Amino acid sequence: MAGAGGGGCPAGGNDFQWCFSQVKGAIDEDVAEADIISTVEFNYSGDLLATGDKGGRVVIFQREQENKSRPHSRGEYNVYSTFQSHEPEFDYLKSLEIEEKINKIRWLPQQNAAHFLLSTNDKTIKLWKISERDKRAEGYNLKDEDGRLRDPFRITALRVPILKPMDLMVEASPRRIFANAHTYHINSISVNSDHETYLSADDLRINLWHLEITDRSFNIVDIKPANMEELTEVITAAEFHPHQCNVFVYSSSKGTIRLCDMRSSALCDRHSKFFEEPEDPSSRSFFSEIISSISDVKFSHSGRYMMTRDYLSVKVWDLNMESRPVETHQVHEYLRSKLCSLYENDCIFDKFECCWNGSDSAIMTGSYNNFFRMFDRNTRRDVTLEASRENSKPRASLKPRKVCTGGKRKKDEISVDSLDFNKKILHTAWHPVENIIAVAATNNLYIFQDKIN
Amino acid sequence: MECALDAQSLISISLRKIHSSRTQRGGIKLHKNLLVSYVLRNARQLYLSERYAELYRRQQQQQQQQQQPPHHQHLAYAAPGMPASAADFGPLQLGGGGDAEAREPVARHQLHQLHQLHQLHLQQQLHQHQHPAPRGCAVTAAGAPAGGAGALSELPGCAALQPPHGAPHRGQPLESLQPGPAPLPLPLPPPAPAALCLRDPRASAACSAPSAPPGATPPAAAASPPASPAPASSPGFYRGAYPAPLDFGVHCSSQTTVLDLDTHVVTTVENGYLHQDCCASAHCPCCGQGAPGPGLASTTGCKRKYYPGQEEEDEDEEDPGDLGAEPPGGAPFAPCKRARFEDFCPDSSPDASNISNLISIFGSGFSGLVSRQPDSSEQPPPLNGQLCAKQALASLGAWTRAIVAF
Repeated sequence: MAGAGGGGCPAGGNDFQWCFSQVKGAIDEDVAEADIISTVEFNYSGDLLATGDKGGRVVIFQREQENKSRPHSRGEYNVYSTFQSHEPEFDYLKSLEIEEKINKIRWLPQQNAAHFLLSTNDKTIKLWKISERDKRAEGYNLKDEDGRLRDPFRITALRVPILKPMDLMVEASPRRIFANAHTYHINSISVNSDHETYLSADDLRINLWHLEITDRSFNIVDIKPANMEELTEVITAAEFHPHQCNVFVYSSSKGTIRLCDMRSSALCDRHSKFFEEPEDPSSRSFFSEIISSISDVKFSHSGRYMMTRDYLSVKVWDLNMESRPVETHQVHEYLRSKLCSLYENDCIFDKFECCWNGSDSAIMTGSYNNFFRMFDRNTRRDVTLEASRENSKPRASLKPRKVCTGGKRKKDEISVDSLDFNKKILHTAWHPVENIIAVAATNNLYIFQDKIN
Repeated sequence: MECALDAQSLISISLRKIHSSRTQRGGIKLHKNLLVSYVLRNARQLYLSERYAELYRRQQQQQQQQQQPPHHQHLAYAAPGMPASAADFGPLQLGGGGDAEAREPVARHQLHQLHQLHQLHLQQQLHQHQHPAPRGCAVTAAGAPAGGAGALSELPGCAALQPPHGAPHRGQPLESLQPGPAPLPLPLPPPAPAALCLRDPRASAACSAPSAPPGATPPAAAASPPASPAPASSPGFYRGAYPAPLDFGVHCSSQTTVLDLDTHVVTTVENGYLHQDCCASAHCPCCGQGAPGPGLASTTGCKRKYYPGQEEEDEDEEDPGDLGAEPPGGAPFAPCKRARFEDFCPDSSPDASNISNLISIFGSGFSGLVSRQPDSSEQPPPLNGQLCAKQALASLGAWTRAIVAF
């Protein structure tokens, strides 16, 4: 099992040599709450990178084509489209304000020239179509070039409008709005491999939707107890299997994962598989329940494994073995003795995400102080890197960081007490094919590439 | 970065979080509040166990002083995994006049009540988590070897620090259960599924049975008697048994009202208090003064269908006051503001509505914990904060899922 802290970053073999590529976002110290990035997602080809923020906006970056005339901008991501996905709402019946923060974005596989994505806030999921327009019709009969209607009596001749090129315009339009299906806060959406359905999960229920149908959804999991006082766990994340369209998993706040098969029954309250690692009784504390709560679950691309993230560790599970994970990687074990302070400042409730690389040989997750951690499953090596403006020279290699857990602090190490817990990396994404990673640090999006790449 | 890892401060921090979550944007976050309630429960268990140990220790000391030279029993509560500082708690705050507990009969009575409360709480957890045996963890001598075990045999069971999780597959050892010594009657556990409604056994019948928790463990497991023989394991063993349902001191009770947003069903459940805390105040109704105990009139049953047409202002969970958060006809609890919803003027400070909402939800006046100046006319100041915390602690069992106020 990989140890805590950071290891070296030796070159060669399967190890990565991460270099800074780009950073997006404002530089000022004063970060507006609305600009905080709340989700990051590559599309299936990796050419598009979408981010959602707390202000309800979605920004899509597109990778530039490799261009011999501009060799330095190899594969750079530039803004492609920006639109307001969700607005703040007010539920008058329950006197609740509904935040516009984008909780998740999931891309649909591309089927034509347009791109489709699902974005969700706490209550409503929207299907957006992002399409390009680079031609414009000119020469209308009934209206002028500027759009004013012409007086029909003045028209003396007919002409056929012709298409003329125009500056590329990217339009985003909401095609479907899936609303009013969730009483509790939506935490996950996941597109099925059949490309027709998707699931949305809130704290207590999971619904199955068809992409074409907005007025109906099927409830497939419901863990709400008859008496809410008996509530002991909530759903924290859910995902469809990447290849088997009948299988999905959902994780709970108790640190368990349930795999369900939709073929077995309409209501998947009974799981097909139940993944739980026995708790180590010697590590019990006041906060055991909190740190065992799973914040993210992701299937590997192969579909054979899945990964879960709890507060202090990342675990890789083999779907064929329910009794314990096959790998456990400590992300920041040095925080275990600080749990009380982290409880006081609410950091213990932070929900970190995790992601696989394209070949499932490495996994990545975030930490505090703008650190993020990468674990190589083959070599069992891990590294801690930092997303910071200081290391932002073009193509500068990232230096591994190390947290000093006690005793003498070596040079270049940082002590646990100096960590900045306001700088947290909750959202990361790995390009589906290449070694390009996107790391969201509060309001900035960092893009790093592997030098070998 | 250091923070005090003592139970009371954790409890107040947790309650503050729950309180502030109600005003946060986006509504109450179920997940976070559930986690906070777990911390509350853990802290409460530790707090009560300490207190229990302290009371017992005093009782022991008095007994031994009568018999023999004082035999020092170092009862530091050490639970696995707790930092060392957790075992060295400061002097326990024993409410209602510290020296009163030194008097033996009172101490024993309190011990008894405290123990009952614990039994009840463990019972609830038992049924809730469908764990066949309580995880007792008797007060252990710090680092006690076998020699301590002899002293332990005198102790009745006390708090389980380790809140029960789903049972054996979590790898926890099962604790043995042995018949308790004289003061504690051997009971029968109340019938299974109606877990948290069970403060008042009469209300239990009216409570609906809960659906199976996630994981679909068969409900039969809940009904299995707790006295499953299992090898005693090292942290201690659990002595004592559940008090009979009718022995519960339900005199001082109040109600928590929960509005389920999905089904619009209103559930009213009972909370219980430590009897000694209630009786510390001369106004306690159950002590025969003032109005009859609210608990006696409490069988308003559990579930009640809510008709949306009825009381518009009660539609949202902020205002359950009229639906029975206040024990009907009972005098307000003097020591802490037992807020009658009507008592709170709509034009009072913006704080008041939050606190009154919270009070009506938790069924206890914990205005002492939130930084609100108590009205000195009504409450004896030294008792207020403590008593509120105690009430909050005592009633935790019924509203451990504080997020019910959804």
